[in-house]
Amino acid sequence: MSAQTVMEQYAPLFMPKTIAVVGASTKGTALPNVFIRRIREFGFTGTIYPIHPTASTIDGLPAFPNLGATPQPVDYAYIAVSAAQVPDILTVAAGRVRFAQVVSSGFGEVDEGKDLQQRLLNAARAGGMRLLGPNCLGIYTPRGRITFTEISPTEVGHVGVISQSGGLGTDIIRRGLSRGVKFSGLVTVGNCADIAPSDLLEFYLADAQTKVIGFYIETAKDGRRLFEMLRAAKAQKPVVILKGGRTGQGLAAAASHTGSLAGDERAWIALSRQTGCVLVDTLDQFIDTLLIFQTLTPQPQHPTKRVVLFGNGGGTSVLATDYFARLGLDVLPFEKPALDALAALKLPPGTSITNPVDCPVSTLQQDNGRVAEKILDEIYAKGRPEALVIHLNMSAFAGRTPPEVLDNVLQAALRVQTHYPGQAHFVLVLRSDGDPQLEARKRIFRDTAVGLGIPVYDEMSNAGQALAALQAHERFLHTRGS
Amino acid sequence: MSGAQLIAAARAQGRTALDELAGKQLLASFDVTVPKSVVVPDADAGAVAGAIAKLKPPFALKVMSPEILHKSDAGGVKIGLKTAAEVEQAIAAMAALPAIKSARVEGYLVEEMAPAGQEIVVGAVRDPDFGPMVMVGLGGIFVEVLADVAFRICPITRLDAEEMLAELKGAAILQGARGRPAVAQDAIIDVLLKVGGENGLLMKHADDFKEADINPLIVSATGAVAVDARFILS
Repeated sequence: MSAQTVMEQYAPLFMPKTIAVVGASTKGTALPNVFIRRIREFGFTGTIYPIHPTASTIDGLPAFPNLGATPQPVDYAYIAVSAAQVPDILTVAAGRVRFAQVVSSGFGEVDEGKDLQQRLLNAARAGGMRLLGPNCLGIYTPRGRITFTEISPTEVGHVGVISQSGGLGTDIIRRGLSRGVKFSGLVTVGNCADIAPSDLLEFYLADAQTKVIGFYIETAKDGRRLFEMLRAAKAQKPVVILKGGRTGQGLAAAASHTGSLAGDERAWIALSRQTGCVLVDTLDQFIDTLLIFQTLTPQPQHPTKRVVLFGNGGGTSVLATDYFARLGLDVLPFEKPALDALAALKLPPGTSITNPVDCPVSTLQQDNGRVAEKILDEIYAKGRPEALVIHLNMSAFAGRTPPEVLDNVLQAALRVQTHYPGQAHFVLVLRSDGDPQLEARKRIFRDTAVGLGIPVYDEMSNAGQALAALQAHERFLHTRGS
Repeated sequence: MSGAQLIAAARAQGRTALDELAGKQLLASFDVTVPKSVVVPDADAGAVAGAIAKLKPPFALKVMSPEILHKSDAGGVKIGLKTAAEVEQAIAAMAALPAIKSARVEGYLVEEMAPAGQEIVVGAVRDPDFGPMVMVGLGGIFVEVLADVAFRICPITRLDAEEMLAELKGAAILQGARGRPAVAQDAIIDVLLKVGGENGLLMKHADDFKEADINPLIVSATGAVAVDARFILS
């Protein structure tokens, strides 16, 4: 299918003009009422049709008795009523709904709901509609101004996500946003009775707005199609997979969660090796990895290997060097040209100018923090790193230096990297001890940096894992890129 | 017989797996080298000598019975036989063993022995989500104790096969660690492609097998020979 055809097919889901909401009550307290309120607050400008068997208005909007009775056909129907009612609701909607998202649970994820899920699927197929869910939470599509979570920015980003868990989908949005991840869309797909991960993968691959794709997946559903699609895509867009149920115990939990059948860790490892998608183990890693792909441009010609660490904290540098080495990232001492250039700066005793470059606060506060610019200039010019990780232990600055020192160090770091565009990946680690004031400053720094396309991490290990994922992606493109 | 006929015949006989000879015929139909062999019904003097006249010694002898799953454990494997007379004696001795005497024996497989070399295991499993997958590992403790194996989803490319070997913890052994000769990796890669590649055995018979094992595949300077093979029908 051509990209254009795929985009047209999914336009009613990601940019619906008409939305029907089934399950809103006249009292205005049910989940569907909350959904109506949220999308209006989010700026949805299309038409909303509340569906109610008897009421004439819901939340001030004219209501209609069923999905067959709306004035216009429905692009997207949000359905949250008891499971047993849903198949008949879809049957009445035949030919009038493009996408139906069934939020209700009580289907294939429990034994007694398996038949009901089949009836649901039959009704959707017979009625010519695509079905999302059941057992999910909704969709977040900033370009269509639809959201199922409370806080969602309207900015359309570049990260497209598919989640087989609704709750985790909410976590991904909220935690991702607070880290600077910006989404082109996030769809919760629950039991995947009809629309499977591979369907939405097809959309995100075709969608020019989406540059990075993330999955939370418990069961592939149509693994063969997923494999073939990913293989054909040749990792031209990075794909990050957080796979639930990779161990026997996780699988048992997954089976009771969304009705997954047996999957297998080794198959997913094989998938990642053959298609270049990146497998991660935790939600934090998932967000860390999405963030690095959102902000940095992969360099397949020279996959990231040589890393320079610069910052305050000797022990932190040593631990990070070990950790990075285990991940296949080299933190090797500088050669003579870089060493000579850094020595010529005559930095105070206690400063280590090999790589890792360890500059205590007493060094960094020289010239009110602007010394960092000179050091970084030499590192870029003579040290030729493929990635530069700047780590600042904010706690060590607090109380010892005026606030502008840290600001100046950070501004210097942000400035220097713009003088060497495309030369090295630039990653910032802002370490804090949880002190509320420091955390508040960190948030401001983070927003500034991410706005400039610089990923910010809380700890060196997070930065290291994200860089290792980037390296794996670059290596795949290096050996297999067309 | 074609692969489809071999599989149909095994199903018609109510078998859950291809017997060793059928498994090797299937492999041979995909150009995987298997030992030259004949089947003899029993230890009948003269008949054995005639049957194996065209085979080069030394020989390996294996009992053929759907009721004997682990031939070695039952005493149903004898290797290093040099003459027809030794083969006859070995068959007679085997036939007298309790585990073999009590089983339905379909004959005895006499094979040329593969030249000595590195033992490799090539396997397959049908994944419920992703379909056929191919596996490779070094034989013996590497597979059985250390589970040092690499899997890929079929079909695999040559690059996939190369990366599978490179991924093994024992990869250094293939390159000739500790003064041992290097193993012909191309020969292993060839077998992996014939089994798991684009037009390979597993793609052609994607729905026929639940599991399969070529164990061992013996790789020497002259190439790779599938010395034993099991195909479990789905």
